[in-house]
Amino acid sequence: MNMFSLTLEHMYIVFIAVAIAVVLGVFLGVIAYWIRYLDSIILWITEIIQTIPSLALLALLMIVFGLGNTTIIVGLVLYALMPIARNTYIGLQDVEPHLKDAARGMGMTKLQRLVKVELPLSFPLIFSGIKIATVNSLSVAVMGVLIGAGGLGFPVYRGIQTNSLTLILSGAIPVVLMALIFDYIMSRIERRLTLRASDGRK
Amino acid sequence: MKMKKWVILLMTLVIGLSMALSGCSGGDKITIGSKDFSESMILGEIFSQLIENRTDLSVDRRLNLGGTFVCFEAIKKGEIDIYAEYTGTALTAQLDMDVISDPDEAYRVVSEEFENQFDITWLEPLGLNNTYAIAVSNEVYEEYGIETYSDLATVSENLVFGGGYEFHDRADGFDGLTELYGMKFKGDPVKMEISLKYQAIGNGDIDVTDAFATDGPIRKYNLKVLEDDKGFFPPYYASPLVRNETLENYPELKDLLNELGGVIDDPTMIELNYLVDVEGQSIDSVAKDFLKSKGLI
Repeated sequence: MNMFSLTLEHMYIVFIAVAIAVVLGVFLGVIAYWIRYLDSIILWITEIIQTIPSLALLALLMIVFGLGNTTIIVGLVLYALMPIARNTYIGLQDVEPHLKDAARGMGMTKLQRLVKVELPLSFPLIFSGIKIATVNSLSVAVMGVLIGAGGLGFPVYRGIQTNSLTLILSGAIPVVLMALIFDYIMSRIERRLTLRASDGRK
Repeated sequence: MKMKKWVILLMTLVIGLSMALSGCSGGDKITIGSKDFSESMILGEIFSQLIENRTDLSVDRRLNLGGTFVCFEAIKKGEIDIYAEYTGTALTAQLDMDVISDPDEAYRVVSEEFENQFDITWLEPLGLNNTYAIAVSNEVYEEYGIETYSDLATVSENLVFGGGYEFHDRADGFDGLTELYGMKFKGDPVKMEISLKYQAIGNGDIDVTDAFATDGPIRKYNLKVLEDDKGFFPPYYASPLVRNETLENYPELKDLLNELGGVIDDPTMIELNYLVDVEGQSIDSVAKDFLKSKGLI
């Protein structure tokens, strides 16, 4: 078993999933913000998805997407939607009303206000949603082995099955390290973004 | 004129390359699956190595899939071609039928139903009967001196039951067992990952657990397997399941895999499981040694 290539594959699965989840999640967050009567439905659905046990969700997705990395990626995307969509929605709502008014006063259209004012100002919060989704996905991706995907799930599950601490750790340590590294880097970026955003608001 | 030449050259290149590539990943590959426990994976690996050594086919292994549901859906969909299944599981979990206690009758019924309903063939039984069994820790055995399930029922209110998730979800599992024997365990049964229950009973966190009759750790933790005196558990004889489509494409697989028929009996399987689960040998080498010792590769 080559831990290095398993780690790379693990990271690849998570990266693709989070990238798709960012696009979908931000889109859903914006829709919830724009169309007020949809907000509770959208956020409710993303929260309901979170409560489905991972193996049950993956087994159901497997029927549609087959065995392999695609299924785990779809599963991770579904789980990652909640933190990203919710933070986008809250971030957009929390933009200071006078800034929104100013943008409106300058004659900006709805889309211009979103892209030029509201999204940039709520970006720190969106980013922290992405961070949560990334770290979560790293650990959920371990389940992928159960539907035939690659990554670090195989050593972890074999370790549990054969009661081998060495095997469990050989799979779990890279996951934890990746989570810590991503969390550290993204937290630093997040802090910088928050500082800049609060400067902008003063 | 010159342009045309370039286009033709480019096209030949693309076609040639794609043909070369598709040749590499060619159709002569079959996928073998297994459930997420050692025995199933060992059997999957034995099938894989047998096929790799005795045919020109290459094997894509999808071992460690998440349980019966995932394997069964995958073989129906054609995501995998072969995996090892048990007659008892097929009857109750997949066909939703009543328990059949006669092993031959059970095998006949599942073969027929799988052929008709799913286009899947049951090859010859491997020999092992990995039925469910109820095991107690050695301390409990010595304290109460129980031998059978009926004995267990008389003392069950003092004992904590813990078992795998699947055992709690099936008709021939926890509910049926406790009803037939009138068992009432202390508190609610603990549900856990199959492989953690041995650790739990070894630590004394639980007193009674469901086990598979061929489990290696039974030896390691010195558990006492009780006798099913009312014959509650159905037979769980294992066979390779193969898609009919796969057998049509590669007819040689049928005779080849049937060479395993009756070769892996209970003691053999306990030994193979013990080597993997307790001694920590790799599935790969255990499968290879086994096939060599039987002169199959």
